[in-house]
Amino acid sequence: MTHESLTHGPMTRGSMTPGLMTQRSLWIALLLVWSLGPMFWQLVSSFTTADALVNDQLSFWSRWTLNNYRDLLSTDPPFWRYLFNSSLVASLTTLLTLMLAIPAAYGMAKLPDRWKGSLRAAVVGAALFPYVLLFLALLELARTFALGNNLIAIAIPYSALSMPLALLLLTAAFEALPNDLEDAAKLEGLSLWQRLRWVLLPLIAPASASTAILVFLFAWNEYPVALTWLSRSDLLTLPVAMARIAGSSTYSVPYGTYAAATVLGAIPLLVLVLVFQRQIVSGLTNGAIKG
Amino acid sequence: MKLRRLLAGGALALVMALGALIGSASFRAEEVSILMPSSFTDASADLVKAFNREHRGRIHLSLIRGPLNTESISDLAISSLLLGDAPFDALLMDVTWLPKYAAAGWLEPLDPWFDQGDQEQLVQGARLGNDYDGHLYRWPLVADVGLLYWRTDLMDQPPSTPDALVEVAGRLVKSEAVANGFVWQGRQYEGLSCDFLEVLQGFGGDWMDTTTNAMELDSPEATAAAAWLNGLISEGVSPYAVTNYAEAESLQAFKAGDAALMRNWPYAWAELQKDDSTVKGNVGISLMVAQPGERPGATLGSWGLSLMRQSQHQEAAVEAIRYLTSETAQRQRFLNNGYTPIQADLFNDPEMLKASPVLPDLLVGLNHAVVRPPTPLYAQLSDVVQRELNGLFTAAGSADEAMATTQQRSQTLLRAAGATP
Amino acid sequence: MTMLLAAPALLLIAVVFGWPMLRYAWLSFHADSVLTGLEPVANGGANWLRLAADQRFWLDAGQTARFALISVSLELLLALAIALLLHQRWRGRGAVRALTLLPWALPTTMMALGWRWIFNTPYGPIEVLARSLGLNSLDLLSTPSITWLVTVFADVWKTTPFITLILLAGLQSIPDDLYSAFRLEGGTPLQALRRVTLPLLLPYILLSLLFRLAQAFGVFDLVQVLTGGGPAGSTESIALYAYLNGMRFLDFGYSATVMLAGFLLLTALILAGTLLLKSVGLLRPLDR
Repeated sequence: MTHESLTHGPMTRGSMTPGLMTQRSLWIALLLVWSLGPMFWQLVSSFTTADALVNDQLSFWSRWTLNNYRDLLSTDPPFWRYLFNSSLVASLTTLLTLMLAIPAAYGMAKLPDRWKGSLRAAVVGAALFPYVLLFLALLELARTFALGNNLIAIAIPYSALSMPLALLLLTAAFEALPNDLEDAAKLEGLSLWQRLRWVLLPLIAPASASTAILVFLFAWNEYPVALTWLSRSDLLTLPVAMARIAGSSTYSVPYGTYAAATVLGAIPLLVLVLVFQRQIVSGLTNGAIKG
Repeated sequence: MKLRRLLAGGALALVMALGALIGSASFRAEEVSILMPSSFTDASADLVKAFNREHRGRIHLSLIRGPLNTESISDLAISSLLLGDAPFDALLMDVTWLPKYAAAGWLEPLDPWFDQGDQEQLVQGARLGNDYDGHLYRWPLVADVGLLYWRTDLMDQPPSTPDALVEVAGRLVKSEAVANGFVWQGRQYEGLSCDFLEVLQGFGGDWMDTTTNAMELDSPEATAAAAWLNGLISEGVSPYAVTNYAEAESLQAFKAGDAALMRNWPYAWAELQKDDSTVKGNVGISLMVAQPGERPGATLGSWGLSLMRQSQHQEAAVEAIRYLTSETAQRQRFLNNGYTPIQADLFNDPEMLKASPVLPDLLVGLNHAVVRPPTPLYAQLSDVVQRELNGLFTAAGSADEAMATTQQRSQTLLRAAGATP
Repeated sequence: MTMLLAAPALLLIAVVFGWPMLRYAWLSFHADSVLTGLEPVANGGANWLRLAADQRFWLDAGQTARFALISVSLELLLALAIALLLHQRWRGRGAVRALTLLPWALPTTMMALGWRWIFNTPYGPIEVLARSLGLNSLDLLSTPSITWLVTVFADVWKTTPFITLILLAGLQSIPDDLYSAFRLEGGTPLQALRRVTLPLLLPYILLSLLFRLAQAFGVFDLVQVLTGGGPAGSTESIALYAYLNGMRFLDFGYSATVMLAGFLLLTALILAGTLLLKSVGLLRPLDR
């Protein structure tokens, strides 16, 4: 990768020598191997027999099996239960966050600049905060108010934790809107809620979609709060279930089943990322620019 | 007319009575679940089946198969208990957790069900570590103690004092009869605390007085114990590698014939009699060494069943506990899986003795059992000791300094956690 | 009226982010352990005295800081390289960009399980590879001085895509004419990188640095599942130690103290970094 191609991105189109192209292809290939290699290895391991995992001398054809998946799907509770729990919590969180953040972002976008600056700084501070440090206080709240082992209750702290990011993205989106559209709507006598619902929401739809997918991914991935708020095995979200599976090793080499769990757990997320990748990318980049 | 009505009424009453009888007979059996590490659940599978057969219709026992790792299963249990939502009626508890769980109010005292008579049937060592604050909270299932393994082909008698051990081991190493003198667990982990406790006892020292929460680690005896252990390494009686040994490594060294003496748990005996063992047939068991006039110590490691306070099926759970700790159960667990029994009679039983000739030695060990300080803060206190001792072995510094620091840190810890002096 | 709209969301943030730190501050001056029935009892500064002399805490603090600094540095370098690659136009760029996002989307604990296998001794692919190259057993997950590097590797793998996207956004905001102007004045591509790209990219780099440093300091999921803090506590982080104090040792008062101390250390670290950067003049582009 020569520096010419590094800095003169758009200018090298059409002026590339074959050598440069294969050099770049090499880097791209390396990038893909780096990003996808470990997951691919999990995929391969998930179809490998327990014997083959510890013995690399076995013949190619005798290495493969579906047993790992069979074992995984026959556990108690069944593996798909964790996927369901995570989806439920993530959906509730996304809904709650959007419901609170959209009006809030509208309000914040309208604030006079002198307030906006410090408020934004506070929200950015919250967005940077390593939330694992909050777990003890949140656990105390769960104990005091009996919020533990409740997939609906856990959406509340999740919503709070994802709120800063949502506010940043949505406020930026509202600020980017030209005023005339809303003024026109006001002239037509639409109330605040009507304006939000019929005029503004459709306009910020891309930002809302980005926010929604990022919040959804956050809720799926969250670990410390789920670890302390959920203990019943049929209520665990995916990350906690995976950790429990990891900690419950009773065999010497259970990794075939572990790999199968990793693959099954990853599939929904991979699908989400591939389908919504544009929204994810724009959400993160906008967050960066405005942050 | 009246007669018909009477007959109809009678028939109805009869049907209702029959129905109630049938209903109560097919009344759902009480569900009792006990959480245990997987090694124990697997070893108890047959026992559970037998129990359910005998109590069919009344009690149904199921074992929840928990992680193998000691810490993991405690973490699992605690996460449920902290949320007030534990799905098990009883828990197989390690001896060092008991004070913590009891102090947290999660356990139901077992005094109503087990009395002095029951206690007297147990070997002395198994009676330790089951109480907290004057109540019985745990009924033991298996009990292990730390033992001194010695090579019968290299010495006539096992050493009984610290000086004798140093002399014998030193002599053997110097004459190159064996590569290492004495191997034990010196890594920074719980095993080191166990080894230390035995030596501490042998020098006449104490870890702490749990009635007054007073630490006693800077006493001359404790310092002497630490200095002796440190000296083993610096004088070459034990290899430096011992500072990273756990049970497995010391067993490996002894099994390969590279050591004259080893401190380990009873399970090592069976391992040493396997065909791949260099020292098969040349191993004896004894107690850890002690100063003249001091009583030798053997650290107790035991598992027992505790009843959860929030259980809805306490009577049924206690029945299950009794069954799983009964003499038959113990015999089966010993013969099939090698778990040390705790019923005193079993140590004289011919069938048991035939299966394991070292049973008498185990009994002696159990009769010299010492418990690690039964305080809810044991885990943190042990961490301080492990750290300081391992640091003493691996870096420069004197035992005096190390023990003084340990004492001070332990005291700060207790005070910070609210221990009233 | 508009402020009322924002009230619920802002209140939620204030409570969930603000309350814990206040609570910890209060709790750290109390004994709240299983000895006090998990009820707070005032004990003066005993927790703080204990913390000051707590070898384990300071060890963990050092390990956490080391992990965070090394991880974030590597992530930045790697992300910069990848962003420069993705910034060029070539066919399939969009698809590749999406695929490189996948590591970031997967839960850390799930991949930790995967890494346990990949680095497993003796059966994992890395060990098999080492053997086939004639090397001795690497023991990557059981050697105290090496295992922390494995955690760094796993962290870099997961979070680099995130930084890549931020830097990519930054690269895209640099107008092309700047480059053509630079070239016309006879600048080499390497100089362009140093004199045009990096200075304009600085705000994005600093943002990523700040964000990732704070997150990495709180590393928990990865170390709890991949190594459990081992071997011999060499990968234990402040967050994990705080968690153990609370959930395993049932000493909530000390757990709160550890977390508050961790937070204060992080703030100090960030302030120190900011001052350092300011003194070197790197923060000037931010004065806009």
